[in-house]
This record gives sequence, structure tokens and C-alpha cells, in this order.
Amino acid sequence: MPSLPSPSLLTLAATFAPGVILEHYLLLAAILFAIGMLGVVTRRNALTMFMSIELMLNAANLTFLAFARVHADLSGHVTAILVMAVAAAEAAVGLAIVIALQRVRGTTNVDEVRTLKL
Amino acid sequence: MPSAADLLILLPTVALAFGACVLLLSEAFLECRNRGYQAAVAAGAAGLALSLALLQIAEPVTLSNDSLFRTVVQPDLFQSFIVATVSGGLLLSVLLSKGFLRARDAERGEYYALLLFAASGMTLLAMAADLVLVFIALEIMSLATYALSAWLRRDKRATEAALKYFLLGAFSSALYLYGVALAYGATGSTQLAELPKATLNPWIGGPAIALISVGFAFKVAAVPFHMWAPDVYEGAPTPVTAFMAVGVKAAAFAAFFRTIAVAFGGAPQHWGPVVEALAILSMIVGNLLALPQQNVKRMLAYSSIAHAGYALVGLSSASVYAGRVAGAEGLLFYLAAYTVAAVGAFGIAAVIERNELDAEKAWDLERFAGLAQRRPVLALFMAVFLLSLAGIPATAGFMGKLLVFRAGLDAGQLALVIVGVVTSAIAAYYYLRVIVSMYFHAPPGETEDLDRSAATSWGLGLACAAVVVLGIGPGTVMEIARRGAELLF
Repeated sequence: MPSLPSPSLLTLAATFAPGVILEHYLLLAAILFAIGMLGVVTRRNALTMFMSIELMLNAANLTFLAFARVHADLSGHVTAILVMAVAAAEAAVGLAIVIALQRVRGTTNVDEVRTLKL
Repeated sequence: MPSAADLLILLPTVALAFGACVLLLSEAFLECRNRGYQAAVAAGAAGLALSLALLQIAEPVTLSNDSLFRTVVQPDLFQSFIVATVSGGLLLSVLLSKGFLRARDAERGEYYALLLFAASGMTLLAMAADLVLVFIALEIMSLATYALSAWLRRDKRATEAALKYFLLGAFSSALYLYGVALAYGATGSTQLAELPKATLNPWIGGPAIALISVGFAFKVAAVPFHMWAPDVYEGAPTPVTAFMAVGVKAAAFAAFFRTIAVAFGGAPQHWGPVVEALAILSMIVGNLLALPQQNVKRMLAYSSIAHAGYALVGLSSASVYAGRVAGAEGLLFYLAAYTVAAVGAFGIAAVIERNELDAEKAWDLERFAGLAQRRPVLALFMAVFLLSLAGIPATAGFMGKLLVFRAGLDAGQLALVIVGVVTSAIAAYYYLRVIVSMYFHAPPGETEDLDRSAATSWGLGLACAAVVVLGIGPGTVMEIARRGAELLF
């Protein structure tokens, strides 16, 4: 049976951030998620849009970690690490596509990339 | 004790991933100018996965009680059916890729390896019973298909398609993941079986279910989450489009069904009306937008959205107790029927396509004119695929539509069935237009030689045979789909 987070870490967190409760983490994650979503919708540069998506993934991670603490369950931590690995792989593929686009088109602005008609 | 027999469930996935590794290593270490063997290796791996899935259907695998996989995968007939469908679609796409890639001097081991990795993700998606495994399987599948759609990387359309697919795909994955995080918070677990508990906490559970569903709706390209599909399907290399249209759809529908209809089967009031609306919108918008298309590949892309709508009828029927088995059965059969017909139709679009990059009017309706005189067999195959997509009797598509509409009637969703039948009639127009062009119009003046390679002929022939067999003698497959559906609930 894996042990729960060590009490010293808990006290450490309580010392440096007294009164920070689950809702604070969830709210922070929700705000990050909203910023990311807004970025994808409003920004037109492929790289900025991609960074916004990463922000959304990290908001999900933060939510996983906050709930993992509440449930005293390690699977949330494991999930967060898996998500980071997936995000890294996604970055590799995504940046390769952006580079290919820059070479062929000379731009990374998604509004200028429209050979395919609507 | 966890036993080795537990690994049996993963055999098709392992066969695909192993084939992909062999291809990657051979590309790196074999100094062989002739890459013809690569398609054979890929087809072999796909055929092996298909046979293993069929073996699983004949002899269902079970997991021991203390298996490590017990909480994450569901070893049922439903997943075997989807795995067989995906492997079959993969086999046909590999056969159709060879001539296409050779004509463009783009035949590399990584291409087939990516196809196989994508398919291994799809097989995991079909069997996943845990939201985190679903996420990872989705990403394995999607990352490979993003890279595949940019395969012709000097082609403007292909890079554009890849960018759009990547940005919207990653966005939908992020939505899905945040939904999973919230569901984890509401239930303390990511298992599908625990998911219904999330409804007890509406403040977290509601958004969780909504975000997860939106993520899936993006992947299956249901209206209003379809905007990426036409551009991506048109821009991606045609054999890749074929595989994306059928494989991604079948796998994502399997996971969608498991999450929504099975896990939330007890609370249909939360998702039934939403899925019904998605189905109606997809059928209407997909078919109406396909009507004016002069570009056959783009027409097939819009029709793929409409077909997602018909498959959603099966999912929607599962929201009613009386229709849930019929709904699952219809969905399974529909996905199999769509797979063989759509791979074939896209395959012929690949044969017709001009060889050079960024060709103007590469898939125009005019290029199909007089095909019956130039290549009678090719025209006949295309006619069979299109009739099946339109749902004309004696083809696979007809049986598929029959089953989903019957499920809709069982569930008492009359509006859905009426919209389905009317839009099918509208759809017949744009499918028949291609057939008329092939058979009754004179061929254009200049005609180039079209691909006659053996792999392409085999691929098209197998797809056509499958369409006819599923249309005339669907008994066995229907029986398997029915048993798979019954065991699901």
C-alpha cells in the first residue's frame, strides 16, 4: 500500500500558504483553462494558439493534483505525469507541423493559411 | 496471481505496434532502395491484427479476477468487433497507399509505421474502460494521424490540413482532459464504471460530462463540432483521409458509446436529447453541404459528417431502454459498413488524383467523366461504393441504415428516423451525380494513365467484395454485432 504524502510536506505547505483550500486550486485551474480557451479562440498565430492549448492541459493537471490531495489517492498524480509526457509528444509533432508550414507558406498566421475553401 | 492469459486481450494491439517497430527499424538499418516490402510488412501486421480480432470473436477472451488490466480494459465482443473493423480498414488503406505514395516518391517506412501506431491507439480506444486510458489512446491515435496528414510536407494543402487538424484536435483533447479531471474530482476515480457517481455532484459532474462529450463530438466530427473535417479530409493525402475517415470515426464512436451509453445508461435524461440534436444536425448539415460540391473528395468529406449523424442515431437510440441493444448493434454494423465503402470511395479518389503536388482540380467531378469507358472495373467499383454510401438495397450501407433506423423506431425516436430517411434521399442525389458522370459523360480530351498496381487492385477488390457480402449476406456479421451489443449492458 503506497503511503500518503508525508506529513512534513503538508505542514510545509500549510506554513507557506495558510488557508489555501481546494477551492482556490480549482478556481486557479478554471481561470487558467479559461485563459487558454480564450487564447485559442482569439489569437491567430499558430504558436500562440498552441501555447494556449498547453495552458489548458496544465489547468487539467492542476485540477487532477488538487483532487488527488483531497481524495488522498495517488492515481491523480500518476495521471498528471502521463499528461505531461503526452503534452511533450504533442509539442514535438505540433512544432514539426508549424515548421513545415513556415517553410511552405512563410507564415504561421492561421488566417492567411486558407487554400482549402470553406 | 495475474496470469499470462490476460495479455491475450492485447494481442491485436501488440501485433500492430510490433509491425510498426519492425518498419521503423528496417527504414533505419536496411539499405534497400526498393521499399516495396514495407507495404507488405504493414499489410501483414494489419492482417495479423484482423485475424487475432476474429479469433477473439470466435473465442472470447476473459481477464482473471486479479488481472492488472481489470480496471482499465473491457474484454468484450464489442471491442473485438471494433478492433476487427479498424484492422480491416487499416489493411485496405495500406493496400491503397502503396501506388499513391510510389507515384509521388514518398514511400517511406515511417508512413506505414505511423498508420500502424494510429491503429494500435484505435484498438486501445475500443477496449478502454478508464477515462485516462481513453485519453492516452486518443492521443496515440491523433498524434500519428496529425503527422500522417502532413506526410506530403511540401504540399500546401497537406500542411494546412495538418495544422488545422492539429490545433483543433489538441484543443478537443484538452477539453476532454479537463472534463476527466473534473470527473475524477467528483468520483475519486477515473474508471468508467464509477462515472455515474459524478451526477450526484451537479456542480462538478455536469461540466465534466459536457466537456467529455464535446471532446468526443470533435473526434467523430459531429455538427456543430465538424468545422475541421472538410478541410482536413480534403487536404490530407487521400489514403490517409480514407483511414482517418473510417478508423478514427469507428474508434472514437466505440469510446463515445462506452462512456455515454454504457456508463451513463442509468441517467439517459442527461445526454439523450443532446445526442439526438447532434444526430439531427449532423445528418442535415452534412448532407446539405455535400450537395453543391464539385470536388469529389470534399463531397466525400461532407458525407462523412452526415454518416457520423447516422451512426449517432444508433447512439441516441441507446438512451431509451427499449432501443439500447438495437442501437449498439446498429452502430457496430453501421461502422463496419461505412468502413469498407468509404475506404473504397476515397481509394478511387486517390487513383483519379493527379500526381503532382498542389494540382488544381485534382478530384474534380469532370475527372470522373467517362471513367466507365476508360477503366470499366474502376467505374463499377466506384459505383458500388457510392451506392453503398447512399444506402441502396443489396449493399452494406443499406443494411447499416436499416439497422440504425430500426433501432430509432424501437426507441420511439420517430423524428430522428424521419430526418434520417429524408436526408438519405437527398444524399442519393450527390452520390448518383458521380455515377452519372462516370457512365454517361464523355471522357475529357487529355487522359493520363491511372494507377494499375496490384496492391491498389487488391485493395479496391477486397473493399468491393466486403460491401457486396455485407449487403447480400449480412447474417453472420449482424449476429456478431447483436451478441456484442447484448453483452455490453
